[in-house]
Amino acid sequence: MISKSSFLVDMKENNKRRLWVWSIFLLIFVVLFPAFTALLLNRITSYSGWLFESYEKEIAGQILHERLIAGMCSILGESGLMKGITASAALISAVQGFSYLYSRKKIDFYMGMPMKRKRRFLNIWLNGILLYIVPYLTGLIISILIAAQSEAVDKRVLYEAGTALYTNILFYLCIYHIAILAVMLTGNIIITGFGFLVFCLYEYVVRMVLAGYKYLFFQYFCSYGTKTEPVFSPFFMYQSPVKLFIFAAIIGIFAYICYLKRPAEAAGRSMTFEVTKPVIKILLIVPTALLAGWLIADAVGFNPNSSMDGIGYVLFTLVLVIVIGSALIQVIYEFDIRGVFHKKSHIVISGVLTAFIFIVFRYDLMGYDGYIPEQKAIESVAFVPDSYDMTWEGGTYFDRDGSFMTELEYADKYMQLSNVEDVCELAELSMKEYDQFLEQVKKEGYDEGQDEYWSYATLIYHMKNGRDVIRSVWVNVNNDKTVHLLDSIMGSGEFKKGYMPGASENLDRILEQADTKRKISAVYGNGIYTKKMSETETKDFLEVYRKDLASANFSKVRESIPQAMFSLNIEENVLDDIYGTWQGISSSSRIHTISVFIYPFYEESIAWLKEHGYYMNCQLNAEDVARVQVINHNSAEQERLAEKRSTVSGAAAVMNDAEIDIYGDSEAIDTRVYTDYTKQDEIERIVECVYPDEIVYAYNWDGGKDYDRDYEVIVYFRADSELNREYGSYAYYYFMEDQIPDFVEEDTRYTNRR
Amino acid sequence: MIELRNITKSFDKMKAVDNVSVTIRENTVFGLIGTNGAGKSTVLRMIAGVLEPEQGEIAIDGIPVFDNMDAKKKLYFIADEPYFFANCNAVDMQKYLISVYPEFAVEDFYNYLVNFGLDKKRKVNTYSKGMRKQLALICGICSGAKYLLCDETFDGLDPVMRQGIKSIFASEMERRGMTPVIASHNLRELEDICDHVGLLHKGGVLLSKDLEDMKCNIQKIQCVFKTIEDEAKVISSLDIMKNEKRGSLNVLTVRGNKAEILAIFATANTVFFEALPLSLEEIFISETEVVGYDIKKLILG
Repeated sequence: MISKSSFLVDMKENNKRRLWVWSIFLLIFVVLFPAFTALLLNRITSYSGWLFESYEKEIAGQILHERLIAGMCSILGESGLMKGITASAALISAVQGFSYLYSRKKIDFYMGMPMKRKRRFLNIWLNGILLYIVPYLTGLIISILIAAQSEAVDKRVLYEAGTALYTNILFYLCIYHIAILAVMLTGNIIITGFGFLVFCLYEYVVRMVLAGYKYLFFQYFCSYGTKTEPVFSPFFMYQSPVKLFIFAAIIGIFAYICYLKRPAEAAGRSMTFEVTKPVIKILLIVPTALLAGWLIADAVGFNPNSSMDGIGYVLFTLVLVIVIGSALIQVIYEFDIRGVFHKKSHIVISGVLTAFIFIVFRYDLMGYDGYIPEQKAIESVAFVPDSYDMTWEGGTYFDRDGSFMTELEYADKYMQLSNVEDVCELAELSMKEYDQFLEQVKKEGYDEGQDEYWSYATLIYHMKNGRDVIRSVWVNVNNDKTVHLLDSIMGSGEFKKGYMPGASENLDRILEQADTKRKISAVYGNGIYTKKMSETETKDFLEVYRKDLASANFSKVRESIPQAMFSLNIEENVLDDIYGTWQGISSSSRIHTISVFIYPFYEESIAWLKEHGYYMNCQLNAEDVARVQVINHNSAEQERLAEKRSTVSGAAAVMNDAEIDIYGDSEAIDTRVYTDYTKQDEIERIVECVYPDEIVYAYNWDGGKDYDRDYEVIVYFRADSELNREYGSYAYYYFMEDQIPDFVEEDTRYTNRR
Repeated sequence: MIELRNITKSFDKMKAVDNVSVTIRENTVFGLIGTNGAGKSTVLRMIAGVLEPEQGEIAIDGIPVFDNMDAKKKLYFIADEPYFFANCNAVDMQKYLISVYPEFAVEDFYNYLVNFGLDKKRKVNTYSKGMRKQLALICGICSGAKYLLCDETFDGLDPVMRQGIKSIFASEMERRGMTPVIASHNLRELEDICDHVGLLHKGGVLLSKDLEDMKCNIQKIQCVFKTIEDEAKVISSLDIMKNEKRGSLNVLTVRGNKAEILAIFATANTVFFEALPLSLEEIFISETEVVGYDIKKLILG
């Protein structure tokens, strides 16, 4: 049994050996921390002086108080700075506390003393924790007292400070135990440092390498759902105290066992346990070699899906890193440069393992790339086209609690397609077709006149066993069978519910929760002309829109040009957001927009809009237009001339298109033709055919109607036009393909043929 | 009593101590002799509980020593390079040691410091190597530990200090039965201190005997015989280990009881004869020759 008094005496004696650590920690936590708190309070107060000029004294006082509270929550609560300080403190404390294990002299002294090993461990371990907690808690109390003097403390501040205190203590414990484990497994401080870094970064690197190789070798790999954040790293568990506690406990126990098993003669060696040497060496070399190979592959543009050019560089890098890395670690192990030539078997083992992993990816031995799960094992599927039917704002998605989500996150959570059969068939068809296409490209080169139009989509198979299988596919939307399948998949209510922001149930929830903190406004327009809708009308219109949306499918959307857009602006008041304004420099509100296209076949919507006086299509009123300037880039002519020019200079045989671009030949040949139209009849004919860029300037996922990228149309508004005030003097428009008026084509043709 | 039974210890697959069995009795000064790398420090570190033997047992008064407080309380280990805390002075060391050795003799400690001329307030890192060894010895003596394990501790101490330490050892042995165990590579260093010696070579024990026993069994006689026949007659009747002849003077190292050997010489026809004192070196030479080793190569170089 440990005598309480003698234990305290031992702790006191141990602390005498750690005075400089105490000094540093006290300086940081008891001096600098409160000083920084005081400075922050002063800064917020001085930066908020303008409030009293802009608002009434009482309101200004309230805002200042909120800012002070926000500032205190920020500094006394969880923060990246405190996280960094905590991690550094834990490392210093652990290494300093157990550094006697590096020195034979110290080991002879301490271990010769009549004190149990476990008692010495407990002594040093506990002191290492007190080293952090005592100064931190003292500094925190002083900081709170300072803040209280400025009336910058309330229950929120105390809650944030309390939460940060226990989270940081748990985080400290995790890092502290990792560092102790690193000390126990190594025999000198430099190797301990390496060991600590390895513990912190290893999983991250391994995950990165795995994701990198999937990306490199698998054409259907999707980065969504690929977690590169380590699971076993306290840095990524910071928000989860329970995980931190469990992690700290497990690593702590492991470190303690290593301490008990650590032989005294390990002092000064590189590694404590001989058996770990080859294991650690190989575990380090293999991912490092693969990582280097991946980086080189990226640097030389090695793309095994199209050609094997550059494989030599990659293989050479793998071999080089294995040989040099293995030799280097052996030198570190032995502290002798002659170690370079020792343990060649480790090079062979590392090489074999690296080669095996490389081959697994290269030849897809796991069958990852083209994997389509068995239909009977699939619960549901999410089919997520990349920015399909998206306005300029793209998809703005809200979760149930009002937080933002990406398109994929939203679809992953809310799209449960039961039509598994069609999705699997589409996946199989698309992969097969794309493989054939790549094969053809490899053999015959890329044909610009190809019939295929490839669109990118992500498939998330929700399996019955709870797992998700995620792949990306290139879909040829010019294939009739594909179109049929897309109509079936994208025409379903399940798809729309999980993909179309306008059909989201969460949007209804946000509309219902609209209050002073979150203001909703709605606008209907075609990109130039807009009309505001009332809240009630907005809700009515959304209902009608959803009825039309139910009848929409891929083919219908593909064949149509949107007439206008319906936009919902969600303005969030962040004035009293505790994190938003403490510095007094951020804006007081955030606006998010959800926009949906209104197509000509949305009959009920159009009828409703007409009935309520909102209707408009995407055409301009000719009477608002003073002048139209059309710019024809004449790209084909430019390319022809550039080619001709390079042929004349004798460089054609050795220059490719990319090189022509690089050397600026095409830039030097300006084939653009500018033509101005001011006559009313010409303007009328042009405005009939042009579309605002908000409507057409979007990614054309479906390969349907597209604007002509050769023409730009700049519309100059009349000085007395409403639009002039709203948009400035001009706006950009585009012609749809094959809808360019003959006279415009004629006027803007490049004629200076050489 | 310290008992080592068949202990073995390896470092990096090299056997540093191989199947060593030694018993160190209480109230004696035990000298552990051996060349560099013979395993002396390893044996002492294992006795001190710093190292754990791979095989065998070490017991201090019957208690296993490794990570055992009861056994370790009886020991104080002074390593070949004694460690002192960074920037500490003698007082700091005393304060620490009293926290781990409750019977630490504080008064004696400061008296010894004065007697040895060591400034208690001076930082230990400004002490000379000899002064640090003196301080380490004083710490060990005052710790109250029964067994004082000294690894090459006398190396670097001047003769006056050695005499001082020797007399302290004698008084502590008498007062509380302290048992010093001194490891050294230098025979001459232990000659005037040890009662019992153990010789280590290549990790194993060559011999372990009381010095007095060894001395009793070997005699060194200096004599001049009247005739060659007389010389041959005496030599044939003795167990001669060594015979050095300088002119007519014979110096004989003879195995056997002193009285019996002197009786033979008394009856022999000699011009004169006398018994000479034996050095530890000479005793070792003769003892190790018996087990087939050339001690000159092992210890004396």
